[in-house]
Amino acid sequence: MKKFEIAGLEFNRVSFANFFFNKTMLLGYFLVFLAGVGIYEMFELRYFSVAANAHAAGLDPTNPGLKDAMMLAVFGNVGEITREVPWTLFIANYMYMIYTGSGVIFLVALAELLNFKIVEKAAAGFMTVGIAMVFAGLFTIATDLNMLNMHWMFLSPNVKAGMWLMLPLYCTYIPFVLFEIYLVLTKKRALARKLALPILIMSIGVDVVEYYIQAKLFSMNTARHLWTEFPILTFYFIISAFVSSLGIMGIYSFLVHRKKPEYPELMSILRKGILFFISVLALYEIIAYMVVDKDWAFLILFGPFKYLYFLGYILLAMVLPFFLVFKSTNSHWKITLASLFTIVGGFAGRYLFVYGGNANPMSDRFGVGYEKYDVYEVASSFNYVHPHVGEILIVIGSIGIVLLIYKIFDSFFGITKLRDNHA
Amino acid sequence: MCKHAQHFGYDKEGVIMNYAMALDYQNCINCKACETACKEENGVQLGVHKQRIWVGIVEGTIFGKPYVNLYPSQCNHCMNAPCVSVCPTNASYYAPGGIVKVDAHKCILCKGCMEACPYDARFIDDTTVAVDKCTFCDHRIEEYGTTACQATCPTKVRLFGDLNDENSDLVKLLKKERFFFQKERSGTLPKLFYIVPKDEAYFRQSVSHDTKIYTWETFKSHFMAKSANTRSK
Repeated sequence: MKKFEIAGLEFNRVSFANFFFNKTMLLGYFLVFLAGVGIYEMFELRYFSVAANAHAAGLDPTNPGLKDAMMLAVFGNVGEITREVPWTLFIANYMYMIYTGSGVIFLVALAELLNFKIVEKAAAGFMTVGIAMVFAGLFTIATDLNMLNMHWMFLSPNVKAGMWLMLPLYCTYIPFVLFEIYLVLTKKRALARKLALPILIMSIGVDVVEYYIQAKLFSMNTARHLWTEFPILTFYFIISAFVSSLGIMGIYSFLVHRKKPEYPELMSILRKGILFFISVLALYEIIAYMVVDKDWAFLILFGPFKYLYFLGYILLAMVLPFFLVFKSTNSHWKITLASLFTIVGGFAGRYLFVYGGNANPMSDRFGVGYEKYDVYEVASSFNYVHPHVGEILIVIGSIGIVLLIYKIFDSFFGITKLRDNHA
Repeated sequence: MCKHAQHFGYDKEGVIMNYAMALDYQNCINCKACETACKEENGVQLGVHKQRIWVGIVEGTIFGKPYVNLYPSQCNHCMNAPCVSVCPTNASYYAPGGIVKVDAHKCILCKGCMEACPYDARFIDDTTVAVDKCTFCDHRIEEYGTTACQATCPTKVRLFGDLNDENSDLVKLLKKERFFFQKERSGTLPKLFYIVPKDEAYFRQSVSHDTKIYTWETFKSHFMAKSANTRSK
């Protein structure tokens, strides 16, 4: 393939048709189209819902829109956000994508530091998948926020708020990771070798800071004791992310490297990683639920979330993958299947964390029982609001963002190649 | 003067004001006049889940005997408000008089404040696409000296006033009565004072055994000292 070079980077000369209309891109377009439908649904709810305030009835009583708004006010729910569960599937997917993507980048840095040559060779592909997932997470959260007012983040910043810290974090983190990928791909070997170690150490530092800020964001939510009382939340985020990240690396390796001679060695390392981090995560889960506020712990362990917790999270993210790869095995299908389970189980874990945090209603204010949300409802210790179909479509569509970003990088730089000359 | 004094309004003599409300909830008859008055006065969005103030209803039994507790409630305008500290754009802020308010134009809908509030006092106003909450009717304090909910209550459940004015009706009431707070352990230093019911049966069914009961003196020594610490940080 013909190439051209810019700033030490070799670009593939790829035809228009091959660049835009290969199988991966077509699948990506389809998924992003689903996200587009979801965004339309959400924006219609958010910005164009029929809603009226108490003054409207006096100011313009004959307005036909007012009649619809009053009917909805009495018989239905207006808008997409509920008071009971303000953070929903958007946040679960944002967490999953960002943490897992950062986890992949973090694990590659750790592997390089520990001199795992085979991971070094595959670093470009892994890191691109990681950064693509970070972008997918940011895409999800961007659809959740009211972007029309985002300029106030700069005009009136509250720099102590966890949410605000995200902005400078990603402004630093993303260029930094892209620079790391540049160093892996560049032909300027002397520069790459010189910067390798400091960049590696900085990379690990930036990753830890990222998880710390994420943990701060959750632990500032005074009312949600699941989030404030999970012990060493930063550590939990890192460990649980590593489990799903290894799953992503396993599936990625299966799809991209399975016909290469280095594949068994790569899968062997991933297998050991899965075993180790699953064990640490399992130990953490046991200790965590002894510490967490009993109202939340009971809802998750013995209440309405128990099936999701034990069958969706514990079984898929930990038990099945552990037993699949526990014995030293040459069956790459088992490792791939274990990877798939950790990916799905990891998502269930994030979903559980977000919805679980909101599960115990705020209406237990006086310690003598739960208040009813309105006269027609039954008081309950449990809150759950099913995600809107628009949210589900956006979450599915975010996978399309990962595919598109990854494929653009791959088309230009051939990142699936295992590189021996890594710095 | 404390550096946070700008959060608070001043009266005509230049004294810092700190608005609060006492609720003699034993008197509540669940007529919902306060909810209606609030919606009318402030133009709150229509809908049962879109409320700045509400009457909380708790049902239960003691040895098979059923009871219903009514707790009129709203934003506690906490002195250490978590909703203010988590807001990334300062859309949630302390207005004069220590009133916690939301600037709808600055709200980016991150919902962090809704998650952080232990009292579930915030909701999304779909007409402005921003978080909305009680403002203690601050637009009418100067003219009428009180809130719409207090003005309309037929059984005088609510009493609005300035905690820093020893001669206010609020402080006079608090000096006479015992009171408690919602979710005091959250450390938010709330400013809704729930007056302990005089009726013994209602007291037992509506106050938890581990609820801390205050008098004005104990409140001042514990609570206000904490508040001063929080603000000086």
